[in-house]
Amino acid sequence: MDTRSEIAWLARRAGWGLAPGELDDLTAQGTTSVLDGMTSPDLNGVTASVSPWADFVFIRDPDNAGEQGLEALSLWLENLATTQRPFEDALSWFWHDHFAVSASVVKDLHTMIQHLDLLRTESMGNFREMVRKVTVDAAMLVFLDGATSTGASPNENYGRELQELYTLGIGNYTEQDVRAAAIALTGYVVRRRDGWKVQFVRNRHDDTPQTFLGVSGVHDVDTVVDAALDHPAVPGFIAAKMARFFLGDVSSAVIDDLAALFSAESLEIRPLARAILEAGVAGESSPVVLAPLPWLVQAVKATGADIEPQLAVTILRHMGQMPGQPPNVAGYPGAAAWLSSSTTALRFSASGVLAGRTPEGAPTLQAAAESRWDDLADLLVRPEGFSQSTIDALSDLSQSAGLRPGESHLALALASPDLLIA
Amino acid sequence: MLSRRKFLGAAGGVAGATAVGGGAWAALIRDSVEESTSAPTTTTAGPATTTTSTTTHPPTSLPAGNRVLVLVQMAGGNDGLNALVPASGLYRDARPTLAIPESELVVLADTDFSLHPSLEPLSRWWNLGSLAAVEGVGIPLQSRSHFKSMDTWWSGVAGAVSTTGWLGRWLDATLTGDPDPLRAIALGGGAPALVSEQSLATVIRSPQAFQLQTTPGTDSEALIQAFLSTASPLDADPYLARAQQAIPTTVESVELISQVFSDSSDDSSDTGRNTEMLFRSAASIIDLGLGTQVITIGVDGYDTHADQTSRQANLLADLSTGIAAFMEQIEADGHADEVTLMTTSEFGRRVVENGSGGTDHGQGGVQFVMGPSVNGRAVHGELDLTELADGDVRTTVDERSIYAEVLDWLGGPTDEILDGAYDRIGVLAA
Repeated sequence: MDTRSEIAWLARRAGWGLAPGELDDLTAQGTTSVLDGMTSPDLNGVTASVSPWADFVFIRDPDNAGEQGLEALSLWLENLATTQRPFEDALSWFWHDHFAVSASVVKDLHTMIQHLDLLRTESMGNFREMVRKVTVDAAMLVFLDGATSTGASPNENYGRELQELYTLGIGNYTEQDVRAAAIALTGYVVRRRDGWKVQFVRNRHDDTPQTFLGVSGVHDVDTVVDAALDHPAVPGFIAAKMARFFLGDVSSAVIDDLAALFSAESLEIRPLARAILEAGVAGESSPVVLAPLPWLVQAVKATGADIEPQLAVTILRHMGQMPGQPPNVAGYPGAAAWLSSSTTALRFSASGVLAGRTPEGAPTLQAAAESRWDDLADLLVRPEGFSQSTIDALSDLSQSAGLRPGESHLALALASPDLLIA
Repeated sequence: MLSRRKFLGAAGGVAGATAVGGGAWAALIRDSVEESTSAPTTTTAGPATTTTSTTTHPPTSLPAGNRVLVLVQMAGGNDGLNALVPASGLYRDARPTLAIPESELVVLADTDFSLHPSLEPLSRWWNLGSLAAVEGVGIPLQSRSHFKSMDTWWSGVAGAVSTTGWLGRWLDATLTGDPDPLRAIALGGGAPALVSEQSLATVIRSPQAFQLQTTPGTDSEALIQAFLSTASPLDADPYLARAQQAIPTTVESVELISQVFSDSSDDSSDTGRNTEMLFRSAASIIDLGLGTQVITIGVDGYDTHADQTSRQANLLADLSTGIAAFMEQIEADGHADEVTLMTTSEFGRRVVENGSGGTDHGQGGVQFVMGPSVNGRAVHGELDLTELADGDVRTTVDERSIYAEVLDWLGGPTDEILDGAYDRIGVLAA
């Protein structure tokens, strides 16, 4: 790959697209410098990390819950389209998919926002510390029932998923380990009447030492988390999941190397993430199918389309990927779901809306109106150009097919198979 | 009468483009799913829509009196004990807060069971003899993990990796001519039971939005034709080619069946209305007579670790309302004799309630089977709360016995599909 293609690859996979002009600027910087900015923004003069909800005024009022939820989502989407730290956002999204806490279970916006902020703050930190914090995070305690798990009657939900989905993968623990973790993690409550504050209540906790994953004396959050995170399956499980998220199909040799690195770095996420992007730039990746959210964000960035929050939410809901509401504890579905008839139909309909909302004079609209297909592909972060089928379809479509010149062509380009693959 | 292939002329180049290896796609789908679920076994998302592409040939002609299986997947692990409530004191002992009060139960005469009050709408079919329940269902070596257990149920393969679903293998085994994407339709989400090697399926997650809309001032027909053109010829890159292949299938499905999803004002945040709409859509699809033989309906939310009493009551009310609407519609349309409906869920739940007003993952579960061939007004299988397996209801009926009866009814080759001869226990009339 030449530098422009390398940058475009990084932007599609790990940055969810670029606005017009950015590909030129970043190509001039060079790949290493771009990687530095993505993976170590603080050391490279990138604007400081700010929560999308930093200025959000939260009011706990059931009558306004819908409106507040929409405003919060709107701030999230706006941040994704304008962020100076796109990789931090992409990684935060990966962790949201990984822990899969859903607002439809948590049912408190402020608590959900705090959870998402926690994932952002820890997104490139230490995985062990992240798990420790998530374990006693109010949203997680509600989501997987830790908040109602007592010594007298432990709830196994979190104890199981901690091992199956979050750290080890199936086959690395027994039903006995699930029960041991559940017992040792009892005693936390979420005080809903006190701002959803997390509190440890000693008489709800069973402090009896458990043998958990072969470690004896496990009795509380720290000892559970340490026993789980000391397990040799962790580096490979996380490295494989993150590598496949960003790289698609990737050889087991690459995953083994990444796992060894993650282990040697004491489960620090930043070096793992950097190594994954470097592997991708070096060609260790396969095409991936974009999920609805990254597909929408790349389109909004490239076109500058003005989409009101309610419309964006409608599009994402019907395409099957509501931010903050993964469908189940395993997170969002994979490629097959995004290739379904439903999502394909919605992609077509949404593309028309996006093209219709693209402002007059936008470079993408101009390129489409002037039949400059290579320029249009480059603006859509595909500097290698469109596939021949898409070029032919664009060329055969009459310029009078849309309300404004270029509008239907831009819609077609956004809906094309090319834009679904990153 | 609908013009079946109205849009496919423009995508004619797709036919014959069989160079794309299905294996690559199966792998892609499998891996992507693993990435998101970490489930190590079978494909857990929508059907692999195939290697052989959509065709310009007429659809496979199907015999009159076409049989249709409707498979309802209750994701999360439905609590069987509170759905089909046993008249056992042990049940009440184990469930001091969750046991359904006796005064609210819908008693099933001549059995030791009652229905959850939310399932009352189904009692009509029980009384008519076309509803049966099966107690203690499961698959040996299934797991208390949602994902591993669902894989086992979807594949019908225990303790080993399978890349196809049990119904996908039936679709392949009975495939004649070119694959038809409308032969199997998944409503409300992906349907891994339909994953096949050669056949096609249509996955419609959000029926009310299943349209190809264009903005005002747009030449819709031209834009849709152009969209189809981006799908042919297929690119040499198998990943891009797969994204292309989804397009003609989608355009055709929308053209043929979006008319049944007429309730465009539906608010999908209302899960009850949404569930009912999925069932009504299924009935309407059957009435279209497009040769659809399998419809799956995905409903979610049964993982009731906490607050089970109200959550399960709402879920079962949505479910029974939907099923009743479906049954009434196919009866009115004259299709009741063609349809078998069955529910599945990946496991039952622990006998003893937990401290959160809920129940944790268990083993043996309950399923319902409805239709004219059902040996109804009966609870098949058995429940023995004095003899538990690690605190769970024992699995006494291998679910593949039920699969076998359903496949026999659809018209086999059953034992080949299930890779074994499972005992038929007589839920369906032979």
